[in-house]
Amino acid sequence: MVRYCKLAVGILLIMGPVLERMGAESPDPKSPAGECMTCHKEKSPGLYRQWFSSSHARHGVTCIDCHAASQEDPDAYQHFDAWISTLVTPKDCSACHEREFREVAGSHHARAGQILKSADAYLAHVTAGHPAAIQGCESCHGAPLKIDPDAPNKLSPLTWPNSGIGRINPDGSEGSCNACHPRHTFAIAQARQPESCSKCHLGPDHPQKEVYEESKHGNTYYTHLAKMNLDSFKWVVGEDYFAAPTCATCHMSATATQTVSHDVGNRLTWNLRPPLSTRQKDWQTKGSRMKDVCSACHGSTFVTGHYHQYDASVRLYNEKFAKPATELMTLIRSKNLLKSPAEFGNTVEWVYWELWHHEGRRARHGASMMGPDYTWWHGFYDIAQHFYFKLIPEARKLNDPDVNTWIDTLLKDDPMHRWLNQPAADLKAAIQSGELQTIYSDLFKAE
Amino acid sequence: MVNLYLHFIRRVSINWIGRLGVILTTSSFITFVCLEILRLGGIMTNAYIGLITYLTFPTLFIAGLLLIPLAWWIQKRREHRSIQELAGERFDADDLVPRPMGSRLVLTISGLTFINIVFMTGASFRTLQFMDSATFCGTACHRVMNPEWTTYQVSPHARVKCVECHVGEGIEALIDSKLSGARQMLMLIFDAYNRPIHTPVKELRPARETCEKCHWPEKFYGRRMDVFEHFRPDETSTPFYTTLNLKIDTGREANHSGIHWHIAAVNEVRYTSVDDERKTMIWVDVRRPDGSYHRYTNRHVVMNHSGMQTPLSGRSTDVRVMDCVDCHNRATHIYEDPENAVDRRLALEQVDRTLPYIKREMLHALTINYSDNETARKGIENHIHGFYRNSYPHLIESQLPAIDEAVRVAREIYDTHVHHTMDLTWNTYPSFNHHQRNTGCFRCHNENVIDSGGNAIAFDCTACHSILAYESETPLHFVGEPDPKDPEFPMHRMLRDEFLGLL
Repeated sequence: MVRYCKLAVGILLIMGPVLERMGAESPDPKSPAGECMTCHKEKSPGLYRQWFSSSHARHGVTCIDCHAASQEDPDAYQHFDAWISTLVTPKDCSACHEREFREVAGSHHARAGQILKSADAYLAHVTAGHPAAIQGCESCHGAPLKIDPDAPNKLSPLTWPNSGIGRINPDGSEGSCNACHPRHTFAIAQARQPESCSKCHLGPDHPQKEVYEESKHGNTYYTHLAKMNLDSFKWVVGEDYFAAPTCATCHMSATATQTVSHDVGNRLTWNLRPPLSTRQKDWQTKGSRMKDVCSACHGSTFVTGHYHQYDASVRLYNEKFAKPATELMTLIRSKNLLKSPAEFGNTVEWVYWELWHHEGRRARHGASMMGPDYTWWHGFYDIAQHFYFKLIPEARKLNDPDVNTWIDTLLKDDPMHRWLNQPAADLKAAIQSGELQTIYSDLFKAE
Repeated sequence: MVNLYLHFIRRVSINWIGRLGVILTTSSFITFVCLEILRLGGIMTNAYIGLITYLTFPTLFIAGLLLIPLAWWIQKRREHRSIQELAGERFDADDLVPRPMGSRLVLTISGLTFINIVFMTGASFRTLQFMDSATFCGTACHRVMNPEWTTYQVSPHARVKCVECHVGEGIEALIDSKLSGARQMLMLIFDAYNRPIHTPVKELRPARETCEKCHWPEKFYGRRMDVFEHFRPDETSTPFYTTLNLKIDTGREANHSGIHWHIAAVNEVRYTSVDDERKTMIWVDVRRPDGSYHRYTNRHVVMNHSGMQTPLSGRSTDVRVMDCVDCHNRATHIYEDPENAVDRRLALEQVDRTLPYIKREMLHALTINYSDNETARKGIENHIHGFYRNSYPHLIESQLPAIDEAVRVAREIYDTHVHHTMDLTWNTYPSFNHHQRNTGCFRCHNENVIDSGGNAIAFDCTACHSILAYESETPLHFVGEPDPKDPEFPMHRMLRDEFLGLL
């Protein structure tokens, strides 16, 4: 009973502004919305019909409700008799969707536009060039929007269009709601489908889409797509749908005990993005939220078993590869052994980069979302091959006694790497007897 | 009399060339007279007969007449003798005896020449009259003119002769048109004409002179309501309506600036367009009687010292004063969009709308890429019959006449609009008297054609028309009370108020 009361209050909170609008019997007669619609119905019929079919249209939210601007706004321009802005920011959306705005603002998504200071942006700018950074990086991460007083809509074509999820808007807000709710239908159904996330979450460095498709979750989803009830406003896993989870189900959507949250990271235990995986702040609380989602369909031993395996894989990556590789690179850099002074000007740097940024993430994402092929063949297999037969040989090419000693010590003393100097027959026997596996038993121990 | 004529022509046929001339002249004369009698008697009514009667026979007649003196001249050269000597030999001495009014031969030749002149005057008059007829224009040059002839016959101007718009009045215009015709004849013979015919036709006589003979500007006042009935591509071909109350006045009415403002006596609108194609404007201005003008320039067209250059690499050599044909460019030779063509015939109930998906399937049948008109005729039938046979087998029996009628109408649409021999297909000749697909009005009335202050020419929706229905379920939807629960409520209310003059 309490649960239903909470749910009803939750829905009322979300629907409040909408209901307020629905109750409005006669919209403002001075609103230029009628003019907008008359012209745009012909000029941009696709956009118009998307809007017409949207929930916004049903609830009387018209063009001017989102696009109205104050004359002082840096991106405001006069369009016939109205001051408008092309750009609709999360702040604009927050006029009705205040809770979602707050959740997004506190999320990792909202900070994706800070990429310009990161290594990824450096790489795109130096090795490729500005256009690649605009259309490649900033399309997903979001650009700091530039104002151009000479542009018809005051937005510089260097950064507009842009619907990157961490867009830095002229009004100071961060993010872009239409990254997941594309204009002008703004359909919740679309945001709930994995394709929405996979605009960005795919490829060699973060193949979440591919891992999902490989996993049982993805398989089941595509089999039972018609039963997903994606258009239902209330979308509680196990109650409103049960066939399969999508990205949204696990990371955002409502469960019987949790409300939907636009803070997309608040059910994650690990940060798998950096070279060395780290625990999220409050990871136990966050983890319990995710386990709550799992338990809509899985028993508790299934859930704890998965985390037991997953955590071990992440620690394996950290301990066996990430820590030594990072230590080796630090040593090389501290001794100024690299020929080119520019980052990414030396082969060994590319090898190290891909080790953590590409295959390192593939292995960890594969493990987190139960994608066996991504955990092993696209993941640890590639890590191992590149660690032993690319990174170490490139380091040895530097002919530095300290580097060589460091490598020799690692391969001789670390039980995880000692296999390189042992006969295959002995190793096979150790696998059969279970002795080799004991080397990794500590990785399964909980923190 | 006949004997006298036979005697004369036997004598005048000095050699085989002369005989040929006599035969041609005599036979074409007799045939012409016979055909003309048959035509006047209403016995011969074939449209093509004029081509033979008024073009072929007078030509042969004149050719024959010319051959006779030629024959005498050749004979003179061949025998090294004078005309007198030859005449003395061919004719009786009696014929050559000088008399007060001239010899009998001279009198005979004069008499016959008089008859020839009378005949040729009559025939030339009839020939010119025939060449002024629409039949001549439409059928003489069949291969090239067939598309224009086909569309002309079903146009609002089907009872206005081609020459009334295409050839001016007076001898100068007549000579111009004949010279132009001769040039076109050569292009036809040497297969050097454009397919399709290039537009705009720049040599057209001034449109205002032509059009305003019937449509004079004093008549452009008030409003004109047009209801456009369209049909959805669904099973019942559901109708929907767009109704425009067009403000067609010349702008003289108080507080009104109607569509015909452009040709009002106090305004002279001029423009230049990329490649003089009248599609993409370079600039447009309006001049007042006091000489002042206001110019709007297309900011997408960049100017340099060698002329106008655009991304389309166009240039213009012609400053054109706007007239009727700048908007009504397809007043007669109207080529419809396939969807409009189908919708119009459905609205006229030429096709049975109870046939399921009839709009969708007719449109589909019409827009398949066929290789020629004959293949299209077969293809249209195959498509429409095939659809009903597969999807509604019971209808192919019970509704066959209605289905066949739909096929007939679809073929008629196709043959009117698509002419493979002239490379003329759907939308080859867009119409400019509306603004679909950003043409027509929107060539000038758009956000990129701006004055020095950055202001565009008005292009708001209600500047030229009130909108009483916009893809609505009823033809006067917006006249009714708006429903606040309708997503289009603000538009409905605004358009109603605009129509009622409440804004």
